Amino acid sequence: METITMVAKYKTSVKEPGIPGVLKMMEDRFVFAPNDPRLSMNLNVDFRQIKGHKFSKDGSKQALLNLTQDPEKGGGYIFEFNNFPDRNACRDFVGKVLGRFQSAEKPPASRQAEQLSTKELERRMKLLTEDSELQNLHKQLVASGILMDSEFWAARKSLLDNDNYGAPKQRAGFKSAMLADVKPLADGRTNKVTFSLTAETIHQIFAEKPAVHRAFLTYVPTKMSEKDFWTKYCRAEYLHKTKNSVAAAAEAAEDEELAIFLKHDDILADEIRRKIQRVDPTLDMEADLGDDYMHRPDHGILRDGSKETVEGDNEFSRRTLSQDLNRHGSVVLEGRTLDVELGDTRTVAEALARSKQGLSTENSDENVHMEKSERVCRMTEIEDLQAPRSFPVAPLCIKDPREYFDSQQANALKTLGDNGTGMKPMDCNLSAEEAWIYLIGQISQVKVRGFNHPIVQSEAALKVLNGLNQNLSSTKYQFGKNSQESVLDRLPRKIKDDLLNHWSTIQELLRHFWSSYPITAEHLSKKVGRLKDAMTEIYVKLQEIKESVQGDFRHQVSLLVQPMVQEVIRSNLKKSFTKHMSVWRCSRCDLKSVCPTWV
Amino acid sequence: MASSAPPPKLYTDDVSLIVIILDTNPFFWGTLSNTTASNFSFSKFLNHMIPFVNSLLLLNQLNHVVLIAAGVTSCGYIYDSATAVASDGGQKVPAVCSEILSRLEEFVAKDQKLGNGDLRTVGGVMSSLFSGALSLALCYIQRVFRSGMQHPQPRILCLQGSPDGPEQYVAVMNAIFSAQRSMVPIDSCVVGMQHSAFLQQASYITGGVYLKPQQLDGLFEYFTAVFATDLQSRSFLQLPRPVGVDFRASCFCHKKTIDMGYVCSVCLSIFCKPHKKCSTCGSEISHSQTEQLDRKRKLSEV
Amino acid sequence: MPQVRIVAKNFMDMVAALPAMKLDQLYDSSFICEAVLRSLPPLAKKYALQLLFIDTPVTAKSIEEWVLSDGISKHKVAIDRLLQLKVFIEVIDRKKEASYKLNSKFQSNMQRYLVHGGSLPREPMPSSVTVRLPTSEDLEAYALEQWECFLLQLISSAQAERPTSFSPSMMRVFQRGLLSARENEAPRLTENGFQFLLMETNAQLWYIIREYISTAEDRGVDPTDLISFLLELSFHTMGEAYNLNTLTDVQRSAIKDLADLGLVKLQQGRKESWFIPTKLATNLSVSLSDSSSRKQGFVVVETNFRMYAYSSSKLHCEILRLFSRVEYQLPNLIVGAITKESLYNAFENGITAEQIVSFLQQNAHPRVAEKTPSVPENVTDQIRLWETDRNRVEMIPSHLYEDFPSKDVFEAACDFARDAGGLLWEDSKKMRLIVRGDIHQHMRDFFRRQK
Repeated sequence: METITMVAKYKTSVKEPGIPGVLKMMEDRFVFAPNDPRLSMNLNVDFRQIKGHKFSKDGSKQALLNLTQDPEKGGGYIFEFNNFPDRNACRDFVGKVLGRFQSAEKPPASRQAEQLSTKELERRMKLLTEDSELQNLHKQLVASGILMDSEFWAARKSLLDNDNYGAPKQRAGFKSAMLADVKPLADGRTNKVTFSLTAETIHQIFAEKPAVHRAFLTYVPTKMSEKDFWTKYCRAEYLHKTKNSVAAAAEAAEDEELAIFLKHDDILADEIRRKIQRVDPTLDMEADLGDDYMHRPDHGILRDGSKETVEGDNEFSRRTLSQDLNRHGSVVLEGRTLDVELGDTRTVAEALARSKQGLSTENSDENVHMEKSERVCRMTEIEDLQAPRSFPVAPLCIKDPREYFDSQQANALKTLGDNGTGMKPMDCNLSAEEAWIYLIGQISQVKVRGFNHPIVQSEAALKVLNGLNQNLSSTKYQFGKNSQESVLDRLPRKIKDDLLNHWSTIQELLRHFWSSYPITAEHLSKKVGRLKDAMTEIYVKLQEIKESVQGDFRHQVSLLVQPMVQEVIRSNLKKSFTKHMSVWRCSRCDLKSVCPTWV
Repeated sequence: MASSAPPPKLYTDDVSLIVIILDTNPFFWGTLSNTTASNFSFSKFLNHMIPFVNSLLLLNQLNHVVLIAAGVTSCGYIYDSATAVASDGGQKVPAVCSEILSRLEEFVAKDQKLGNGDLRTVGGVMSSLFSGALSLALCYIQRVFRSGMQHPQPRILCLQGSPDGPEQYVAVMNAIFSAQRSMVPIDSCVVGMQHSAFLQQASYITGGVYLKPQQLDGLFEYFTAVFATDLQSRSFLQLPRPVGVDFRASCFCHKKTIDMGYVCSVCLSIFCKPHKKCSTCGSEISHSQTEQLDRKRKLSEV
Repeated sequence: MPQVRIVAKNFMDMVAALPAMKLDQLYDSSFICEAVLRSLPPLAKKYALQLLFIDTPVTAKSIEEWVLSDGISKHKVAIDRLLQLKVFIEVIDRKKEASYKLNSKFQSNMQRYLVHGGSLPREPMPSSVTVRLPTSEDLEAYALEQWECFLLQLISSAQAERPTSFSPSMMRVFQRGLLSARENEAPRLTENGFQFLLMETNAQLWYIIREYISTAEDRGVDPTDLISFLLELSFHTMGEAYNLNTLTDVQRSAIKDLADLGLVKLQQGRKESWFIPTKLATNLSVSLSDSSSRKQGFVVVETNFRMYAYSSSKLHCEILRLFSRVEYQLPNLIVGAITKESLYNAFENGITAEQIVSFLQQNAHPRVAEKTPSVPENVTDQIRLWETDRNRVEMIPSHLYEDFPSKDVFEAACDFARDAGGLLWEDSKKMRLIVRGDIHQHMRDFFRRQK
């Protein structure tokens, strides 16, 4: 073990005089003992704690060596040497030691310094939470330190890249909180009432109240500023909330624009009317304007907490809560038609207007009417008295039904390998005449000769019976009662789960194992070592499972387990690193064929 | 698997109705006997089969056996043990044999006459009318079900050897499904040289036994050991099963096995790559979905 | 109906109880082999058939391989049966493993049968000799009449229209177990007797035949011969005439008795006499299995507990009287009602509700037999309920002991009673004891000893 012993002075800061003593540096740590035995100031510091070292220039006032712990926070051990050569010797020594440590630690550190964006992390977490098997695997391998997190995910790039990063596939609808939330904050002291409208709310208002939308488009910015518009709107809302219809009427009479907000939404009414017209009369013969529950005052919740009854005549009568809810519901169901970022109110309004236009051009009333009348005609017919109506459906014409057969045949016969007697179809070299003659001849032969006695020779029969018995005993444990069970299902659930678990773990480990070859760097060999250990553990567990399973199943279970075990053993035998490239490649191929895919 | 028919009134024990479908395809039998590998001829086959019928009738006085022959151009009923002998005293064995043989002869002669002039070349061996025979069997069983009286437990035994006819695929599958609904197991014994995909499917779906005997000179033993077992006993016996039957689908274009593919919604044919037009039924396949998927896949591959 | 099987099984048990030599004798006839094969449980049939052409013994283990775990009991039953009837012969080899092989006579007979069929020792007589053979309806009517007459006489000789040719001792043999006669009383039907009446014809037939055969030795007749003759008879063709001179002496004497039972009809020609087997005879081998004969039923039960039986036979009337109140009898109709009293009567006589219900179901008129259920559920349920009514209270004659002088005596008495197995109830506070009536005497002795 290399050591250096020097006389030095220890100080915590440069200005200090320092404590004289002896500094002894070893391979892994350094020790400082002061000359004065009274001073109980012994240092015994592991080099691992030392992150860096600084030194004063040659020829400066003091020959200092600063062994820093944390580069940022500072704090370290400063030694002053008597002369520069001493200090340099120590410095070199420290440098060597530190270099050795850091080279070992740097690679993991550098790899860990992967800058993972938060999105990536999120994605990983999401994948883990969605797939419990993956989570299991991750827990087993990464948490116990066998694999690095980055290695784990490196193999699963496809999963990470795949679908859009957390972009929701659904678009959230409007919140119904707006109905309740846009409550004014009433300032108790002054008579001010404050409404807060966010961009989202504004979007919602436009969608739910088309009259407001139209008003906005027409008045802003020509007639009034946006702020005024919204002030007026909020005033109207406030009036609604106070349920003071008389006051509302009074204000509406004064202010034209305000009146718009207080009136019933005529666009809405129009829409409703049109919708009702489109209702299939065969569904509801009586559907008519009277079903406009949105605007009839006596529909909806009569008792929504309000004590007043509604006055029917007043045009500015209250909107009931049920009307609001219904409208909100129907807007949500229509879906969000805008993809535009919510920002400027004006743009939002325009975009909404455009989309609405697009919708309305599609449903031209004429078309709808024609369809409707046609359907009415059809449905009011009495079916029994009519000839069957043939709808314009194209008949199914299958050109060649043989195709179904061929696709089935190919597979079914592939696997029934049997004793290979004549897998190809027989060639018939008989003419038709010959064939028929033969058949009839055979029948007459039986008629004339009668049957053999015995029908079957005893040896043949015995052979058959033995053959059948063999077949039975070989397939007995492969199948359950019906051919649709497999031996896995007959094992107790815990063992089945364990086996499947081990299987996926081994696959993962083997993948990393073989990809680490050829071993070029030290960290790879360490990794291989770790993987081998893990696999040996699992091997032991597999043996245990084999033991624990009782009698009949043992053979089947060992058959299942065998490929796993073989691979583990093979990997364990891999001693030499760099040669055997060909072996590695072959093993790679074998891996694919030996390990069947497990569903 | 709900059957709309009321549950049949079955006997509680081993009384069975066995409908046996024979393959009387002369091309197959002729070729088989010419092949030096096998030592089997139609007469030997009859030597095993007719005593088997006798043994079935022996097992229980009320057992009912029906023979249907599947020929090349026609199929028909050969023998029905219920109507064969009028007397109550049990059918005499020699009478049974001679009746079967004479009816068989008649049938073959008729089959030949019907097929004359049919110059289908014998490239491979022609297939027998298996689908027709299966339908006949199922109709007979239905008639027994609807007779109202107590009746035996039915099953169908197919003794086939001719290769499967691809043009019969749809008909055979339909028959198999209706057998499944009526809960009639279909046993199969393949006496030919190749396995038969039809029969495998049939036995698998309906819960019957599929067997290709290794030794044809012990055929009677196979019959009595496996196929004579009544349905009641089968619930606690283990009968031989083929190992490793693969029913996975393969694509129509390349005939390779696939796990995921594209299915035409009109005719249910399977393809591995999206096509503009289904090759089986000719219907156009709309592509909006598939294009999107393709785009996504391309991105992920990159 | 399970009873047929039980009785028939008993018949087969009787056959199985025959010594090996006699059994071998029996197996000479291929028809008997056939009948025996048909009587086996289904699994045994399969085993016998699959070993039919194998000469060397097959290990028991290889046969057992086929059986799944829940069928092991059935497998054992089958093997036992085969061994009992000596169809299978067990061979123990040096390794102490059991193997089975078929009885060689049985085997050769069956092999020949499969190919050539069996042949009866007699052929039907040519129709030139036989004159005026009865039609099948006549034959059936005759058989039925004979059988009913026999039964009526069996139950109560007073009712019979004409006496059978059975000797009184024979009749007594038959009546043994069915009727019980106490001193100076007319013989009454026992519990078994009632059950017998409600059984199926085939079951009744088997019972009688079994009794007949088991007493054959006393009459100097070899039961084996009888058994073989009877089994052979079932393979004859119904309605064909067979010459009497083809019968052995034993058979000739038996044939008269069988005629009385309605199994055959004897006819006399100018020179020869012959016998004609009826349906009862040919159905003998059928009834060895579970399947019920397709007899025409005659009873219609309504949901108001009224019963209409379209029959004019006295026997039926008697049977119905067992458990129902017959209200009136018309030339072809018996009208009755199932009442609580009549059922209680039946229960007293030992008939169970199940027997009554199955009798009604088996004999349901074809019009109602199609329906499910053939007997209305409320009737069957009520019959069963009334039966369980009687079981609500269990009565045991017993004695009550009280006023014990001291606790010790009481305790001693309790222990004694408990040991004797007669203690029913004790109350230690009031020192009372209830003990079964039958050990009352013992208790008295015990107390005397105490004093």
